[in-house]
Amino acid sequence: MLVIRPLQENDLDDLYAMAQSAGKGLTTLPADRELLQKKINHARETFNQRIAPEAGLYLFALEDIQRKKTVGISGIQARVGLDEVFYNYRLSVTVNASKELGVHVRTPTLHLSNDMTDTSEICSLLLSDDYKGGGNGLLLSRCRFMYLDEFRKHFSEKVFAEMRGVSDAQGRSPLWDALGTKFFDMEFSEADMLSGLGNKSFIAELMPKYPIYLPMLPDSARAVIGRVHDNTAPALRMLQSEGFNFNGLVDIFDGGPVVEAFVHNIRTVREGMNRHAMVTRKPVNLDVPADERVMVSNRSFRDFRVTTLPIDCIGPDTVSLPPEVAEALQIESGDPVRLAPLKDSGMLTKHSYRSSVPGGASKWQS
Amino acid sequence: MWLVRPAQPDDLDQILAMAGTQCARLSSTLPKQGDALAYKIEQSLASFAGRISAEDDPPRFLFVLENTETGDIAGTAGIDARAGNGQPFYSYRRDALIHASHELGVSRRVEVLYPSHSLTDVSLLCSFSIRPELQDTDAFELLSRARILFIADHREWFTPRMAVEIQGVQQEDGSVPFWDSLGRHFFDMDFETADQYSGQLSKTFIAELMPPNPIYVTLLSETAQNAMGQPHQITVPNFELLQREGFQPGSYLDIFDAGPVLEGRTDSLKTLVTSHPKELHGTNEDTGETCLIAAGEREQFRCTLTPVAETLDDKLKVPVATWKTLNRTAGDRVRIAPL
Repeated sequence: MLVIRPLQENDLDDLYAMAQSAGKGLTTLPADRELLQKKINHARETFNQRIAPEAGLYLFALEDIQRKKTVGISGIQARVGLDEVFYNYRLSVTVNASKELGVHVRTPTLHLSNDMTDTSEICSLLLSDDYKGGGNGLLLSRCRFMYLDEFRKHFSEKVFAEMRGVSDAQGRSPLWDALGTKFFDMEFSEADMLSGLGNKSFIAELMPKYPIYLPMLPDSARAVIGRVHDNTAPALRMLQSEGFNFNGLVDIFDGGPVVEAFVHNIRTVREGMNRHAMVTRKPVNLDVPADERVMVSNRSFRDFRVTTLPIDCIGPDTVSLPPEVAEALQIESGDPVRLAPLKDSGMLTKHSYRSSVPGGASKWQS
Repeated sequence: MWLVRPAQPDDLDQILAMAGTQCARLSSTLPKQGDALAYKIEQSLASFAGRISAEDDPPRFLFVLENTETGDIAGTAGIDARAGNGQPFYSYRRDALIHASHELGVSRRVEVLYPSHSLTDVSLLCSFSIRPELQDTDAFELLSRARILFIADHREWFTPRMAVEIQGVQQEDGSVPFWDSLGRHFFDMDFETADQYSGQLSKTFIAELMPPNPIYVTLLSETAQNAMGQPHQITVPNFELLQREGFQPGSYLDIFDAGPVLEGRTDSLKTLVTSHPKELHGTNEDTGETCLIAAGEREQFRCTLTPVAETLDDKLKVPVATWKTLNRTAGDRVRIAPL
């Protein structure tokens, strides 16, 4: 059984091994023990509410309970751009026109922006290769939306994700090669790594501040602006199905898009519903396909836990849990839980449950 | 004998014929269209006559180089009393920013081109064209420097700062690397068209179409970067002559071809400093050092080359043929400058 829970002290070794095998491209989780330890500490203080809410870094681990092994991580940064400056390029259009000459030229232009400042970011998603498929990635990513939903006052109304941009097998980014290197004499992979180590705003300070007119860049660079790396395409599709959209901002290094959504519009949030736990002795076959399962969370701020259950377990007011699931969620009969679809296809509506619990009914949509 | 004098309506056909043989760049300051040129000559005559002084329509002078034996026109040269002629005058100012990060121990110089109107209303030497075969002759120097002698005697019409735009690099096939790397994207036209418009139309189209923000030099093509501040091959003699005159390349570049803009202080220009007013007298000898000699105010202005036999006090003895060319007689005031 796989369970989402807050990142803990003893996750360091597993995390380091995962970061090492992930290689380049995951700037928020570099293979650096000291840095990972710092992140764990940061997350612990966040869940224990020992730091200011806007400084929070909520990191969740995906644990294989049987093997006692951490196999994935995902996170939410409560606010970006408060300590250091958070940079993006805004892809906009400059129009130059002369009626006298009948000329009307549209020039795509990149403007340096700090527009995401003070916004919550979903970040740091990494899943072990051995565990890919079977809805594990969906659980790892979507559990964050359940958390955002439960504790909205800790986050901004709008959340965003930076998607990894295009780079080739050697780690070369066409945009970086055409733009970044002209201002900062460094390979993309190196700059990217420095970013992960927390130096991104230092590098950004060396980057051009005036608008960049795209016709002055080579076609290879222009073509990747706002596009994601092939490996990131599934993650982008998942976020799009949640209601995230490209907001016109791109990464200043590789041109990867920023997607954003209002929390109240995120599908996982809209389609969630409340139940009460009912621990049952009846055997439950937990091993069903992803599209027959739902996410179930214990609604705890400090010890947030999420796992999946067969849809069949959902009753009108309650949800039946086998004891091992109740234990994994650290709940007992009668405790409130929250459910949300795991897959995209709206399985909850297919089963057409209409909750008789008032709180649940109000959340029920489509 | 070579004579520089104000352009007249009768010169129109000859100037047009000559302008037609020059390469593209001239059109912006010397129209290739008959009516536009006729208007420019008319403006010039009104300026010489002192009929133009309105703020929004400042004087602009056009001189021609005439072979007095044949009556042929062999060159043109102009002065705009106020660059932009009442409208903004566009240049790029080449500047630098240091992008530095203390934390990363990195510091880098980044070159930037800023759109600038700073040269607006500065007196501008312009419209210089000459038959190619005269490039290395005294006539070439006469045509260019006659303007400074005119300024010396009409100093109140001109500003303390002066500028000259030098044609920038153009490839054999007519392409202009700087234009192709920058302007073409925004103006959506080839260099020649844009240049012609800038000669004919109001400069509004530049304001409308030119990119409003500074340009990072490092994002230009390499050939465009190399062309910045470089004179076109055919303008090199003029470029060098003007530098001897006291003009210096500064930080301004032409917005279309990135040709250098030379700047100078009017009162320090060599011709102005080394020229002297004299009283005209005759001699039968035509030996002696060849000098520039200018005489006549406003539309009477004429400038030629003459051997100077001797100068005593403020009396100047030159051949009587020179008098005729200058339309002056003994006792008149003239101004001379050494070649």
